[in-house]
Amino acid sequence: MGARRDHQTATDPPVTTLQLLINGLALGAAYALVALGFVLVLNATSAVNFAQGDLVMAGGLLAVALAPLIPLPGIALLPVVLVAMAALGLVLALAAYLPLRRSPPVAVFISTIAVGIILQNGASVLFGPEPRAAPPLLSGGTVDLGGLVVAEQSLAIIAVAGLLIAGQQWLFARTQLGRRLRATAQDPEMARACGVPVTAMILVTFALGTAYAGAAGLLLANRYFVTPTAGGDLILKAYIAVTIGGWGSVPGAVVGALLIALFEVGVSSVLSYPVALGLLYAALLVILLARPQGLFGEAARRRA
Amino acid sequence: MTVPVPEPLLRIEGLTAGYGGAVAVDGLSLSLAAGEAVALLGANGAGKSTLLKAILGLVPLRGGGLWLDGEAITTLTPEKRVRRGLGYVPEGRRVFPGMSVRDNLEVASPLGRAARADDLERVFALFPDLAGKAAERAWRLSGGQQQMLAVGRALMGRPRLLLLDEPSLGLSPKLAGEVFGAVRSIAAAGTTVLVAEQSAARALAATGRAVLMRLGRIVHDGPADRLPEDALREAFLGG
Repeated sequence: MGARRDHQTATDPPVTTLQLLINGLALGAAYALVALGFVLVLNATSAVNFAQGDLVMAGGLLAVALAPLIPLPGIALLPVVLVAMAALGLVLALAAYLPLRRSPPVAVFISTIAVGIILQNGASVLFGPEPRAAPPLLSGGTVDLGGLVVAEQSLAIIAVAGLLIAGQQWLFARTQLGRRLRATAQDPEMARACGVPVTAMILVTFALGTAYAGAAGLLLANRYFVTPTAGGDLILKAYIAVTIGGWGSVPGAVVGALLIALFEVGVSSVLSYPVALGLLYAALLVILLARPQGLFGEAARRRA
Repeated sequence: MTVPVPEPLLRIEGLTAGYGGAVAVDGLSLSLAAGEAVALLGANGAGKSTLLKAILGLVPLRGGGLWLDGEAITTLTPEKRVRRGLGYVPEGRRVFPGMSVRDNLEVASPLGRAARADDLERVFALFPDLAGKAAERAWRLSGGQQQMLAVGRALMGRPRLLLLDEPSLGLSPKLAGEVFGAVRSIAAAGTTVLVAEQSAARALAATGRAVLMRLGRIVHDGPADRLPEDALREAFLGG
């Protein structure tokens, strides 16, 4: 996971720009789920959830473990992964956030880092250090789109992630639960004063954010494999996506994730993945120095 | 034979609350009858805001208790108190800035979609200015419109007791007049109102009873139209 292999090997046929774009969008769609889960928890709690990357890894390994039990295409694992990871999100909130909610933010930083380490070591014990692959979402073949041959998996990732992101948007914009989640994120004390059960909303947010991390794990763990330490790379990318998109901006996090993935795939195809990663971190530093409010600089108080 | 005394809507007994080492409300007792409109007056720092927050549960109590319609609410969370019938309009309005006017209102309703739509219409009828801006994000509204939104939001919970904290603060006299006009019609419709204000005249004109606070205690409690000038002076200037 985390695109540690180069996106093209010597045996692959030449890759067109359009194919690269689709691969980049697929990777970006999965990153977007990670960043979305991260920013939802950030907004609801002001807590930076450093375990988010490890939760992606956990979702990937859960899919690996479920695959022999459910001999169906990977898409059939999605509901199970979403529900199981949502439950893990509740545990995370109850164990690592709620007891510390009145402590300084650094306490939650450390508790989520601790959860990440527990997940990594638990994964090492259960699965060993070698890379594992989850089943493809559909058949794992290719699709010919009028002469353009693209991996079915890429299209499936884009479709699944797109639906999940659209689902989040619908939930937040159109439902009373979504209004309560947004009110909790914008002003928890005032939300209480409007009768919103804020603690329950925080639990729902953790469940949703973790379920989305798990879904990203399932989507990524076929192509990019998954190892117990894969989460470190992903949390950094989620962090960069949210920084680029404007700290706290939900649409910004999605756009930021897509930009990162397109950049990563594009530079990897011309140069190499390590160069792409190096340039990405350099870009983060430049953005932090030049535009600390993010590229799309929405003021945090006005966020959706 | 004794005549049964009706249970007040809100009964506060020996309420003490504060921040850190400071006591802002000091052993205060007060009862509000159903349907009353009460002005809570006093200088800055008298403890008015803390009292309202303590009634709602946003400030922990150091002593005393609260009863709503005879039922103890002292240990309930703020959200449960709101569900039991308290509504709160905070100082500084505190609308949800990134949410639309309509979402700001709807989020405060505990009811289903149809009843919510009815209540929304009622709020828009009370504040026609808001109706035209239903889709606007709340941070784009003027101060006066935000105040109306904050009042409307509190009404969406169908409160039996509405607590308002400095609703005219920072508003032009015209807008402050409009806000108090709304407070008057809310009270006239039967909702019990407790409004904390520094500008006494407007609050007194909209209410029937005046409670004066100084240093966390009540120094005067009586009809709003017969408020002795020296009591007012004492509350604001320290006698």
